[in-house]
Formats: sequence, C-alpha cells, structure tokens
Amino acid sequence: MDVAVLGIGFCGSFPKSEGLSYRELIRRAAVMAYNDAGIEASQLEGAVSCEEDFVSGYSISDEYVPDQLGVQKKSVYTICGDLLHGLSSSVMQLKTGQFKLIAVSSYSKASNILTKNEVLNFAYDPVWNRFDVTPNYLAGIEMQQFVEKSKYSADDVAQVVSDSKAKGLSNSQAPYGANLSASDVLNARSVASPVTEPMIARPSDGAVVFVLGTEETAIKKARKPVFISGTGWSSGNSIIERRDHATSPGTANAAKMAFAEAGISNPNKDLDGIYVSDLYAHRCLMHLDAMEIEGGLNGKINPDGGSLSNGDLIEANGGARLYDAIAQLRDEAGSHQLSSPKRVAVQGWRGLPTDSCSVVVVDRERRIQS
Amino acid sequence: MSNSANRVGVIGAGMTRFVRRAKEAPGELAAKAVEMALDDAGLTINDIDAVCHGTAPDAFDGVHMKGEHLIAGSGGVNKPYSRHFVGGGTGVFSPIHGWMHVASGKFKNCLIVAEEKMSPCVPHPAGAFLTIFDHTTEQPLNLTLLHIFAIEMCRFMHKYGYTEEELARVSVICKKNALGHPAAQIAKETNVEEVMNSPLLSWPVKRLDISPTSDGAVAIVLANEEITRKHCKAPAYIDGVGFRLDTAYWCTRDLAYPEYVANAAGDAYRMADLSNPEKEIDFWEPYDPFDYKALHHMNGLLQDPTGKRVKELLLSGAFEKDGSHPLCPSGGALGVGNPIAATGLMKIAELYFQLTGQAGARQLQKTVQRGIAQAWGDLMQVGTVVIMNADKGTVSTSNKWKEMKKEDLPGTALKSAKDVPFIDYQPDIRYSWDNGMALTTYLEGFKAGKIRGSRCPSCKRMMIPARAFCEECNLKEVNDYFDLPDTGIIKTFTLSNVDWDSSMLGDGKVNIFAVIEIDGTQENMGLVHRLMEVDPKDVKVGMRVKAVWKPEKERTGSITDLDYFRPLLKSDATDVKPVRVKPVELDSVTAKSFPGKIPLDYRYTAGVAGVKFYEDLAQGKLTGTECSCCNTVHIPPTAFCEKCMVSLDSDGKAKELDPDKGKIVGFTVVTEDRSGEPLAKPEVMVQVGFEGATGTIFGKLETEDPSKVKTGMGVALQASRECGPNHLIFK
Repeated sequence: MDVAVLGIGFCGSFPKSEGLSYRELIRRAAVMAYNDAGIEASQLEGAVSCEEDFVSGYSISDEYVPDQLGVQKKSVYTICGDLLHGLSSSVMQLKTGQFKLIAVSSYSKASNILTKNEVLNFAYDPVWNRFDVTPNYLAGIEMQQFVEKSKYSADDVAQVVSDSKAKGLSNSQAPYGANLSASDVLNARSVASPVTEPMIARPSDGAVVFVLGTEETAIKKARKPVFISGTGWSSGNSIIERRDHATSPGTANAAKMAFAEAGISNPNKDLDGIYVSDLYAHRCLMHLDAMEIEGGLNGKINPDGGSLSNGDLIEANGGARLYDAIAQLRDEAGSHQLSSPKRVAVQGWRGLPTDSCSVVVVDRERRIQS
Repeated sequence: MSNSANRVGVIGAGMTRFVRRAKEAPGELAAKAVEMALDDAGLTINDIDAVCHGTAPDAFDGVHMKGEHLIAGSGGVNKPYSRHFVGGGTGVFSPIHGWMHVASGKFKNCLIVAEEKMSPCVPHPAGAFLTIFDHTTEQPLNLTLLHIFAIEMCRFMHKYGYTEEELARVSVICKKNALGHPAAQIAKETNVEEVMNSPLLSWPVKRLDISPTSDGAVAIVLANEEITRKHCKAPAYIDGVGFRLDTAYWCTRDLAYPEYVANAAGDAYRMADLSNPEKEIDFWEPYDPFDYKALHHMNGLLQDPTGKRVKELLLSGAFEKDGSHPLCPSGGALGVGNPIAATGLMKIAELYFQLTGQAGARQLQKTVQRGIAQAWGDLMQVGTVVIMNADKGTVSTSNKWKEMKKEDLPGTALKSAKDVPFIDYQPDIRYSWDNGMALTTYLEGFKAGKIRGSRCPSCKRMMIPARAFCEECNLKEVNDYFDLPDTGIIKTFTLSNVDWDSSMLGDGKVNIFAVIEIDGTQENMGLVHRLMEVDPKDVKVGMRVKAVWKPEKERTGSITDLDYFRPLLKSDATDVKPVRVKPVELDSVTAKSFPGKIPLDYRYTAGVAGVKFYEDLAQGKLTGTECSCCNTVHIPPTAFCEKCMVSLDSDGKAKELDPDKGKIVGFTVVTEDRSGEPLAKPEVMVQVGFEGATGTIFGKLETEDPSKVKTGMGVALQASRECGPNHLIFK
C-alpha cells in the first residue's frame, strides 16, 4: 500500500506572531491543508501532533492538540519528535490498513518562550551534562570536532550560512534571508567557539499541517497528491560522552532505511532536491555527509534557504522543509522553484543535545506498486 | 475497522518494582525492564528492529525531551526510536504504537518501553499537574489534578447515585489483588471502613481512594505472527486497539461518562470482531488511578451511559478476583502503584501473563481467552484500549513469571533522595503566551466585568472561553462575540483541603472549585472557578450562582478579575440576555500576551552508577563500569551497557582509571551562561577521554589561557566532594 500527502498547509515563518494564539496559528495551517486536500476536518479519522511539553508550555501538551485541527473525539496522539518522525508513524498507521485519512501537525511559538536557553539546558542530563554555561557548548564541541575530522573547514561552514541566507532572499516566507559574506559570519560574535551567532538558526513562529491518506483516498480526493516512498528514522547515543560528535549516525541510519525503502541506490543521482537540517550551520554539512551527498551545499540543497533563513521552528522544522519539497514537486515553489524535480528527500534533526534524525523521500509520481 | 493483515503478538515482558522513590536514574530503570523483557523473549538487543518509548510528562523526571534522555536505557541507540505520548493514556497506547510498527509490515518486531520517575519533582510530583491546565484561562486559579479528579468523581456520584462506601470497594479489591504482584508498592488487605477513614484530601477524594506516586519501568517485546508462533505454542496476540482524544475544553462536556473510552473501545471491538464484549472478554484491566475511575472507565468499556450494569456488577461481587468479571487482577494502579505510563504497560503485561498462564498467585481460576486493558489521561479526555487474545486459551508455557517474587525484580527504594548523592536544580522557564483574537476579546471582557463568549454561525453554540473558530464545525470561522450573564448553575464541585502542590491548606481552610454552566450558553458549556460566601456543606449540584468581580481598578484582564462565584440571591437580576459586542481590534497595543512559568524544582538522585562515581570522585578516584559482553569500560559509568543491554555491576565490577591521564578530545570556549547572558569571562568546556575506557567525561577546564587549549592535551580530573556536572573540573 502506498501512502500519499493529499494536502499541505503552512502558516509562517514569523519572528513573532502576536496576533494569533497558538490555536489560531495551527487552525489556519489546518484549514489551508484541508482545503488543499479537498476535504473537511470531519472526514479525518485522526491526527498526529509533533511537540514537546516545555516548548508548548504544558505538562501534558497533547491535551491541546485536537480542537484546532478539528479532530476532537478522533484517534489522536503525539509524537515527541520532529514532524518527520510523526509523519513516519502516520505512514505506519495507515499501512496497518485500519485508517485511511489522518492529519500530521507541528508548530512553534518560539517567540512566546522567554527563556529558550533554559529550556534547552533542561534537556541535558542533570547528573553529567547540565552546566551553568550556555547549552550551545555542545554545538561548539561538535563543530570543533567536525572541522578537525571532516573534509570541511570553518570557512566552509561559514559559507553555508552565506549561501543559505542568500537563498532565503528568493523565498517570500523566509524572514531571515540576507546578504552576508562568509567572513561576516566568521567575524561575528562567538557563542561557543568556533560557532558564531549567525551559524545558529534564529527562532521562528509557524505551524505546518499535512493531510496523509492511502493511495486510494489520495487518488479520489487530492488535487495534486505527492507520494511517500521511503521513511527512516534513527537516534544516536543519548549518552553524549559516547557519541562521535563529528558525525551523525542518526542521519546515516535514517537515510539508509528511507533510501532502501524508496529504491535509491545513488542519492546524488536519484534525488532532484534535498533538504537537510541546518539549525547549526556545521550540521548542514554533517547531515549531507551522513546521507552520502557530495559537493556540499549546491543549488538543489535547501532551495528555500533552510532554517538559517526560515528560522528555527522547533519540531516543525522538518515539516517546513517538507512543505517546500512538496511545493517543489508540484511546481508551486515560486521564485525558488527547482527545475521540475521528480523525487526529493527531506532530512530532519531534533536539535541539541540529540542526534535523533529522520529522512523522508517524496515522489511526484507513484512508484511503489502495491 | 477489521482485523489487520499482520497479526502482532507479545513475546516477552520485564519490569522493575514500583517504588515511591528509586535510587536508579530514569535510564537505569528503563534498562532493567528492557533486560528482563529481552531475556523473557529469548532475544538480544541486536535482534530488535525498532524501539518505541512511552512516558508521561517531562515535568516528572525533570528533563526536557525526556524521550531523548531515555534512548540509551531503552535500547534505542542507533535504532529507529521514537517516543509517543497521550498523557496518562500513554501506557496502553505504547503497545498500540508498537503494533503500528509491526502490523504495518515495516518491522518484524518492536521493543516497547514505558518509564516514569516521578520522584525528582519536589516538593511533590502533584505540582507538575498545575501546568496541565490552560495557561491563560485556568492556571491562574491554582488547580491541580486532584481537584479535577474530585470534580469528576462528584459528577459521577451525582449521576449514577454511588455512595463513597461503594466506590471504596474498588480500592479494597485492587489492593488485595496486588498482594500477588511482585512489583507492588502498596498491596494490602484493607476494607471499606479503612478507606473511608483515610484523610480527606479534596471531597469526595480520600487518601486511600487514590493510587500513589511511583517510580518504575516496564518493557514488552512485540513480534509479528511468524516470530510469535515460533516463540510460543500458545501465544497472546493484540487483536483490537482503539484510541480517542476528546476536546481540551473539559468544562464543555458532562464528565460523568467517558465517551472517549467508549469510542476507543468500540474501535477495538470492531477490529477484534467482538459483538458482545461483556461476554467475550474474560477479565478487565481498566485504568484505576482513583477507585471511582475504574468504574467510570468500565461504563465506557461496556458502552453503557446509564451505568446500571457496572453498578450491578460491583454490588454483586462480580469484580472480585473469583467473580464473573475479574477487575484489575494485577492489583492495578491502586495496589501495584502508579508510575503513570509504566502502569498502563504493566496492565498490558498482565494480559500477557494471564493469557499465557504466567500470573502465578494472581492467575485467574477460570480459563481465560481474552482480556482488555485501558488507560486514560489528559484533561479527562483520552481513552486507549487494547484487547489481547490467547488463541488456544490459557496454556502455561513458562514458569519464569509464574514464580517471580518481589526480591527477583530490580529497583531500589530510597526513603529520601538525600540518602545518596543528589543534585538540586531550579529551572527558570518562563513564557508570555499570545492571546490572539478570541482570548484577547475574552480577557478584555473580564477586565470590563463581563463573561464574554462567541457564537458559532453554524451550530449556534455559544462558546466560552470565546473562540475564533468552532472545533465542532470543521473549524468554521467565528466572528460573533457576546457579553453573557454572569450567573450560572453548578454542574459539579469539590471541597478541597489541598493546594496545587499537594500541600494541605491547614487551619480548616477549604477551597471550593466548581464547574459552572453559564446562563445564556447551552447545556454543559461552562468554566471552572472558585466558589465562596457559602458553607461548604450547603454546596449542591444544581445550585444557582453569580459572579463576584474585583473592583474595576484591580482588574488586569485575567480570569481572576472574576474573584469568585457565590450563591444567587433573590435580589439578583436573572433576566439578563446575551449582548452582542465588537471584538477587540488587534494592533501592536491591543494584542496582548499572558505570562506563564513552570513553577517546579527538582532533586535528582545520581543513579546507581552515578552514586558510585561521585562517591569515588570525592576520594580523588575515577571509576568506570565494565561490560563483560563487549569488553569495554564505560565512562561515565552506567549501570547498563547500551550496546548489549545487560546490567553492569557498578560497585562490584567498578574499573579504576587514572584521573590524571585524561586527554582532551573536544573543546569549546563559551561566552554565555545557561540563560544566554554574557559570562564575566569566557569558560572552556572540554570533552576528555581516558586510556582504557570507552566514552569521555565533559567538564570545565581551569586555564589562564583558553587560546592554548588543543585536542590531545593532557588534563587531570579534580577530586570533588560535591555531586553534579558543575563539579566536574579539569586542570
């Protein structure tokens, strides 16, 4: 059985979104997705939300999921992961044969979190890793080891920021697009050496909703369905003392799983577009390495400007990239449209202190025969 | 729903003891359960295709993204791993998420882990429940879960006519059944009188009506039919699943009947092809965090809004272990304990034990072919249901669990966290929530001394809190706002002796919280608020009440501008009609936000391995733990090997390393403190490896010249009598 994306909705990215409550923000993305899919909320059998308690500000954040998606009393659950993690669960849910139509959502109200570093610090192990310095210390250690052990230099990492922000200038949804040279990046304020401030994606608000369905449902209802031909997810060691910080095994394993399922043997040739998490600029190159993508940040990678241009949407980051990937496959990406891509891969990373990553492959046409 | 193409069986289970406060760190608890489950299934971690983890709020363990924190202990390193979450319903949802992994055909097997360590949250884990309520419209009232339970229990008693004594019977049954459970925390022979005489917390809830707070972990292994059949001649399969989540607006529905449980059960019955579940199911494991909840959930499982059948069953003794409808043969949350998510998975393990004849002293005398487990959670809104089936009836194939005793289970109970090295931590987590259009208009109403609603143009519901869209009408845009009468009727209430953090109010003080249906709306459209100017013994369901407002100059645009409700007087006007008002026009001045914070502190035990490490460090020693399976010495020490998922002996097999022979493998110079404020001077953070060990230690490097720091540089770990990361200092 194939699973398809029937509809997409994205309300963002905004540095602030003070005119919309989180409920109103999500509802707007949901209505966009449902209209796009040609359905009403009442036709959905359930939903999967992707979020974490201390980001949502609730101790049991899943309570507040159903209303703004219009799926109260339906089969709803939360995945504490990037939207791509939740999407992977949704694909399995549909493939059980028990469901036909579900929504997947995530959002960020980062501007409402007044002490973001404190929240991040709270994610570290209290016995071993939670220090009284910036929780970005791990990004510094990662980048220092990455540039020491990989083929890339700090200049290459700075160039990622420069190129990504330039791409963002062609994307009307990207609030942080800019003209910034690599030397501007290297000479900026140091946060955790060698990481400088522009190498870190800035916070953004936004909500993203997808409607997923079985192939049969997609063909009946959707205007332009896009098919999910591979999903993979994996986590590196949560004991950060025993992780190789120059690599991302989470990404490598996730890509291996997704590519095998999608029948991709050479991602450099088989993929027309690639999105990778660049919450920290060095991670962009690290993730490409893990996916065995050659040539660094070229034109077909993060054409929307990535998180460095669109901002850090927390668990909605992978969803924002997937939204753009699907727009690309439908030839609806506007001024940053790639040339008729047929197959695109999207990688997501949950951010520090994790190496929890996911990869999803989406196709313009249906490829797997049931 | 119909039967899935890929049938999924349970082939192994493991669990720790449930205790009030465990010495083990969260990952250590999970690892112990995983090791037992793998052993029970006859597998190693290398045989496992995927891992999924269920755990309830991060606020208990005190770690943001705690699913990530638990990867190593759950056996999830370098595997497809994800954490699912439906509040208190998580435990029974865990095998459902695992079932998706296997039934979809994506994986052949899946390891399911549920862990909860509630004890780090101080002064009491109940404090974590303040932040389950809406941050803008409810948290300012200082509510906690006990209040909402008591409110629901009152409504349940009112609708179905139960006495407190009748409800107490459930507590008696569960605690007695738990006497046969090796993990049990509070098993005992008790009686209705003892429950009734236990301290009153928040009427009608008394101490022995409630399950305890607990630390614990449970794991099970799921596999496809082919593997399951090879593993066991008489296996137990998951034949039906269901999960439903109702609206978060919990004051807008009758709390007496859990429609979400009934619907989830309906899904599971259809999938399992059951036409008469009461006859076809042999035993029942409804979630029982409070005694009335087991009955409340049984009404849902029997899909009987009249509640008559469940009451008959209770009063006739059918719920006893040897009755016709055995209820919670495990002993349930009331007897075994309630480490939230782990409790739900414990109930799934009980289905497995009973259906495979491994329940030992708890084994039901009658032959059982089918059992059902259910969990519940969130704001009285989620139901998760699993039906398991033994194809051939109960055929015992293993004595492992049958003979399991308390002392065979891992888990070390501590009287106080101070009995071992510990770390205190106060997170500073603050928010400012955008109200948006509807809530700004709603809160401006409070400032004006009005209860303000909005009306859906489609279903015509008058909704409070005012909403910008209707959740029941395909998210229909709502633009009509009204000032409503500030009078209403009490639907249910509690007379509470406890504060939000579970501390007693003292001096005979009683807080009355009530759900009030507001005039001018429709049935079951209400809000929760305080009630005053009334003798607690005179409060009744159905009582008419009126708002008392703070003086205008003291109002700030908050739910607390409405000071409280009081009984309606004859002199009060009752003919007030809703008046249409203009909503707030949003601009940079009127678009308001509402402040919020996480008001919790934490005290973490260092864990079994951490205790040994910090005790040794106090003497200037550096020790790791040795895994004889992979011949590695782990630093920092762990009580398990995350590669092999076997227990390590932190004390007996601690491997001493030379603390003076560290080498820097990674470093960074940081300029900000943990909150992002500039440091007075940069600090050097280092990752340091030691010869003969796998892993490293992170810490601060004391150096005069950060520019001279390089990888490969030799450093020494300094002795420290203090416990915690900030005392890991290198020179």
